Amino acid sequence: MNVPTLATLALVLAYPIFYAAYLSFHKVALAELRRGVFPFVGFDNYTRILTDPLFLLALKNTLVFTIFCVTVEIVLAVAIALLVDQTHVWTGRVTKFLILLPYAVPPIANGLIWAFLYSFDFGFLNRILFTLGLIHEPINWVGYPSTAIFMLAVPYIWRTLPFAILLVHAALQGINPELFEAAAIDGAGALHRFRHVTLPLLRPVIVVILVLRTSFAFTVFEEVLAITQGGPGDATWVAAWYSYKRSFAPPFDIGVGSASAYVLALIVGALAIAYVRAVYRRID
Amino acid sequence: MRPRPLARLALHIANLLAIAFFLLPLLAVTIGALQSEKSLQAETRSLLPPEWTLDNFRVILSGGAQKGAIFEQATYLPDNVKKIYFAVGNSAVIAVSVTLLTLVFASLSAYTIARLRLRWVAWLVNVNVFARFVPIIVLMIPLYVTFRGFGLLNSIWGVIIAETGFLLPYGILILAPYFATIPRELDEAARIDGCTRFAAFLRVTLPLSTPALASYGAIVFIISWNDLLIPLILNNRAEFMTLPVVIASLVGDVHVFFNLMMAICLVALAPSVILVLLLRKFVVQGLAVGGVKA
Repeated sequence: MNVPTLATLALVLAYPIFYAAYLSFHKVALAELRRGVFPFVGFDNYTRILTDPLFLLALKNTLVFTIFCVTVEIVLAVAIALLVDQTHVWTGRVTKFLILLPYAVPPIANGLIWAFLYSFDFGFLNRILFTLGLIHEPINWVGYPSTAIFMLAVPYIWRTLPFAILLVHAALQGINPELFEAAAIDGAGALHRFRHVTLPLLRPVIVVILVLRTSFAFTVFEEVLAITQGGPGDATWVAAWYSYKRSFAPPFDIGVGSASAYVLALIVGALAIAYVRAVYRRID
Repeated sequence: MRPRPLARLALHIANLLAIAFFLLPLLAVTIGALQSEKSLQAETRSLLPPEWTLDNFRVILSGGAQKGAIFEQATYLPDNVKKIYFAVGNSAVIAVSVTLLTLVFASLSAYTIARLRLRWVAWLVNVNVFARFVPIIVLMIPLYVTFRGFGLLNSIWGVIIAETGFLLPYGILILAPYFATIPRELDEAARIDGCTRFAAFLRVTLPLSTPALASYGAIVFIISWNDLLIPLILNNRAEFMTLPVVIASLVGDVHVFFNLMMAICLVALAPSVILVLLLRKFVVQGLAVGGVKA
């Protein structure tokens, strides 16, 4: 009964992972693809990317992007999950209903919608601020190299926040309410209860979110393509964008693309091992 | 415990901020899609257009044949805008096929994982946990070279196979724990009555697992409908493009202005958003159990 699954996983997951390693040690560009012969080049592709300032910049940008996204997401997820837990406020029920919506939006569409929101001349955000009378000159939201990566993080956070909120919210439902009552009887204020009861009990789920979101934020792609395409300058080149551009845009150097993707995979792989160690024990 | 009025007000304000954040892009896409290029360009500081129009959708759905009042002056429309008709079809065929295939394959595997206590089965679970971490960009490069060799580039099948493999691990992670909660005695009773193991699975376990199957099915449909990278890299001919690929191809095209872009985005996001609203409970459960890639 496992044959279809194993066959598909072998073709689409296992084989490509090893084949990617193979490609990363060979010269594979348009000419080689046509001939079907890939000359062995050893660690050439790796030395090339590790000495390429653009690749190192892309890694750095990815790191900044990931740390920013994951931190903001965890704070927002805990805050919003606690917020919608206050079921006696009717606006809370509206929030709860809307939480899942961003999850369904195609990432590339999300990117384009934010490109419209951010647009300097015609953008929706500037329109809102003009209408509210808050600005008198349009703001160039993604025009500055120093802040573009953070502006890029906002759409990504918007799209991936539902997942984090859901996990925190599910964990909150599992906390025994008597714990809060006991703490309240002992004279603990709301802030105290949060710090000494809620937060410690949420720690496991926060670790799960931390590792999962970190490893996925490392591979951000669609929003970059739709909003900045790496710009302004090369301020928003991220790792997945580097692999994509090297492989599928001139000079179509698939060997170099594979090597850079493999560096990415090794980083994410280390996180995956940490995840399994930390969390998946509890499944048995 | 009723909070004091001030605390209540603070909660309302916090909720309104959260609601505004969640709705902001959806408002932008809707308002953008319902106006003309002229009104977007003429008045760059007002939120609402002087007049509303459905012409953007008319252009998309007629394949560029019916241009409507706002596009009468436009002499050129990118070919991909005219092909959106096909793209909707391709996206639907791919998402539905991937959903059906993954449901069948994953439930078969998940059943063996839930019922057989074998070492290699435990190993299969671990493989699946790891598999969902593999960055899709790492898979895409070798998949492109491999599928090129098999002649699977520029075909609907190539995309279906790749998406199915990519989404199977979640199914095993969502379905196996659910199957495990169904008492073995039910299977055994069916087998005593003369069912084969497979028939017991088909007639007892599966019907009892509809919530988990709905969770997984909905999530697979959404992810495969939304996915860009797989069809982007495997298919570059217009007749095999999916909606996300068409959207990506229009990025930076000076002939397509935001109004038309937003209308296309709205067409692309409507099916999955509606599905999420209809199957909200199941999607929430699936995400909580499977820790699916977002």
